[in-house]
Amino acid sequence: MAKTPWQEFSKGIIKENPVLRLVLGTCATLALSTSANNAIGMGLATTFVLVGSNTVISLLRNVIPDKVRIPCYITLIAGFVTIVQMLISAYSPALKDALGIFLPLIVVNCIILGRAEMFANKNKVLPSILDALGMGAGFTATLLVMGIIRELLGAGSIFGLPITAGFMDPIIIFLLPPGGFFVFGMLIALANKLATDKGAPAAELGCANCPLCGSCSQIAEKEKERAKK
Amino acid sequence: MNEILTPILIVAGIGLLAGLILAIASIVMAVPKDEKAEALRGLLPGANCGACGFSGCDGYAKAMSSGEAKPGLCTVGGEAVAKTTSEYLGLDSADVTKKIALVHCLGSYDNTSDKVEYQGIETCAGAAIVAGGIASCQYGCMGIGDCMRACQYDAISICNGVARIDPARCKGCSMCVKACPKHLISFVTANQQAVVRCSNCDKGALTNKVCKIGCIGCMKCEKTCQYDAVHVVNSLASVDPSKCIGCGECVDVCPRHCITMFNPEI
Amino acid sequence: MMKGLIAIFLASILTENFILNKFLGICPFLGVSKKLDTATGMSIAVTVVMVISTAVTWPIYNYILKPWNLEYLQTIVFILIIAALVQFIEIVLKKYIPSLYNALGIYLPLITTNCAVLGVAVLVIQKGQADPSFGFLQSVVNAFGSGVGFLVAMVLFAGIRERIEHNDIPKSLQGLPITLVAASLTAVSFLGFQGLVDGLLG
Repeated sequence: MAKTPWQEFSKGIIKENPVLRLVLGTCATLALSTSANNAIGMGLATTFVLVGSNTVISLLRNVIPDKVRIPCYITLIAGFVTIVQMLISAYSPALKDALGIFLPLIVVNCIILGRAEMFANKNKVLPSILDALGMGAGFTATLLVMGIIRELLGAGSIFGLPITAGFMDPIIIFLLPPGGFFVFGMLIALANKLATDKGAPAAELGCANCPLCGSCSQIAEKEKERAKK
Repeated sequence: MNEILTPILIVAGIGLLAGLILAIASIVMAVPKDEKAEALRGLLPGANCGACGFSGCDGYAKAMSSGEAKPGLCTVGGEAVAKTTSEYLGLDSADVTKKIALVHCLGSYDNTSDKVEYQGIETCAGAAIVAGGIASCQYGCMGIGDCMRACQYDAISICNGVARIDPARCKGCSMCVKACPKHLISFVTANQQAVVRCSNCDKGALTNKVCKIGCIGCMKCEKTCQYDAVHVVNSLASVDPSKCIGCGECVDVCPRHCITMFNPEI
Repeated sequence: MMKGLIAIFLASILTENFILNKFLGICPFLGVSKKLDTATGMSIAVTVVMVISTAVTWPIYNYILKPWNLEYLQTIVFILIIAALVQFIEIVLKKYIPSLYNALGIYLPLITTNCAVLGVAVLVIQKGQADPSFGFLQSVVNAFGSGVGFLVAMVLFAGIRERIEHNDIPKSLQGLPITLVAASLTAVSFLGFQGLVDGLLG
C-alpha cells in the first residue's frame, strides 16, 4: 500500500507514534521528560540521529549482507550518535549536562534500530527520510507534552518560565521517577482510549515492536509455535 | 593525518579482532545439530506438559533420539504420535499406556457445603490458603476450578461445586494434577478398577459431620476384599491397582458409596 | 576500602536502582516481568552481561582510548564490544552449559541493545572521571550491584504484576497503563531508601 509523502511523515506523529503506540524508546521518555527544555533537546538529538541513520542505511540497504546487518546498523548509528555528542558538547554544554548519560544511550534507543530494521532497509531514501522525520517529530511531541505536564505540576513552570509557581505549591514527586511512570501510564491510557474508540488495538509491549526479531531466532520460533496451535 | 588514521585503525582493529574471535569460537565451540532429535521434536504435539517424564517435548525428543527412551510415553499425543515416532525411529509401534486423571472427591453441594463465603481472588490456590480451604471438609474440592483452567483439552468441568473429569477427553498430560492445591487428582491406568473417591483423613465421626459421602474408615471394604487390594490407612481407604481385579465387592459393601468402579467409557 | 565497596554495592541496589531511579532497562522491565521465572532469568542474564562488559570495557577505555586521546570513540567502541561479547557468551553457553543456555539463552539477544548494559559501562567511566579513586574493582562491584538491583526490582515487580492480574481494571487502563502506575508506586517505595547508605556507612 503506497503512502503519500505526507502520510509517511504524519503516521509517525499520531497513528504510529513511537512512544505511545509502538512503545519504543521508553527509557529516554521517562528520564528526559522532567522539563520542557530537556524534552526538546532530547527529541531533536534523537531526530538528528534517526534521520542520519535512516538515510545511510537506506542508501546501503543492498550492500550490507543480511547476516551481519544488526552489528552494521549499530555501528552506523553509533557513528551518528558520536557526531551528535560532539555537536552538543561544543554548542550547548548545558544541554549535555541535562541529557547526562542518555546522550550516548541514544545509540540503543529502540526507535532508531527499530525503524532501521523495519523500514529503512526495505525502502528508498526519500520515504526513509520522511519516516525518520515523522517518528522523530512524534517522539519530540510526546516528550514535549510529558515534559510540559511534569514541569508544570512539578516545578510550576514551562520552559523555565514560572507560571503557577507563585500561587500553587509544586508537587515535586512529578519530577522524580514515580511521577514519570505515572504520567507515562496515564498518557498511554489516554492514547489507548482514543485508539480503541477508532477500532485500533491497544498499545502492547511485545515481540512485534522489539527491533531484534531478525536476530532473536528463538523467540521467533516460540511465537510461531504458539501461533500454530 | 595521524589524527584521522589512528582512530580508524583502532576501531577497525577492535572490530576485526572481535569478528575473528567470534568466527573462531563459532567453529571451535560449535554444537553439532542433532537432526534426529529435531525431526522427532516436530512429530511431538508440543504441549510441554512433562507427562512423559522428561523436561518437555525437547527433552523427550532428545531422549528418543539417543535411545534412552522409547516412543509411546507421550500420553497427550496418544496412539497417533506413538505410531509416527516409532515409524521414524524404525521401531515396532509401541503401546501407549493410557493414563486418565480422576478427582478423588465427590463433595458436591448435595453432600457437603462451604465453611465460609469466599470473596477473594478466584483461584483454588488462593482459597486453599484461607483457613485450610473454604470447604467444610478441609481435604476436599473447593470447586473454584484451577484444574478446569489448567486443562487444555476441555476435559474438566465444575458440576455442582465439585470438579469432574471427562475420561473421553482426558489426554493424561498431568496439568490438572499439578494445578490442584489439595492434590485431589491422580492417574488411573487400568479399566474396571475400583477407586476410592475421597481424600478425607479425619476420623469417621469428624468426616460424617462435614460430608455425607466421605470415607469414614469403617474398614468394611478392607474386610470384604478377598484379593488384599483395599487398605484403610489414617481412616481413609485406598485401592491397590496392581491387586484389584474389578470384582466390585467393595463398591457394593461401602455404606457411604464413596468407592466406585472406574470405567473410562462413562 | 571494604566499606567503600559495600557502600557502592548497596547504593547501586537501593538508592541508585537502575530501573526505579535511573530509568535504564525499562523495556525488559515492562516486557519480561509478567512471570516470576522469566523475570528472574532475564535479570540474571543481564547481571552476567553487565559484569563482564564492565570488566572488558573499563580497561579498554583507560588503557587504549584515553592514552591516545580517543575518548570520543567511547560510544562506538563500547557498543561494538558489548554486541560481540553477548554473541560470544551465547556461543560459550550453548557449548558448555546447555541447561543454562536453554534457560537464559533467549534473553541474550535482547540484552545487546539494552540501555542497562551500555548505561552501566558509560556510568562507571563517568564516575571514574569525577573521582580518581573509583578504579577497576569499584567499577565491577558497581556493575554487579546494578545487576542485583535490576534483579530485585524485576522480581518485586513480577510479584506485583502476578497479583494485579486478577483484579478488576478499567478498560483503558488494562495492560501497559496499569503496569506503569504499579511501577510508579514501586518507585515511590524505593524513594524511601534515600540517605540509607550514607547513614549506615557514613
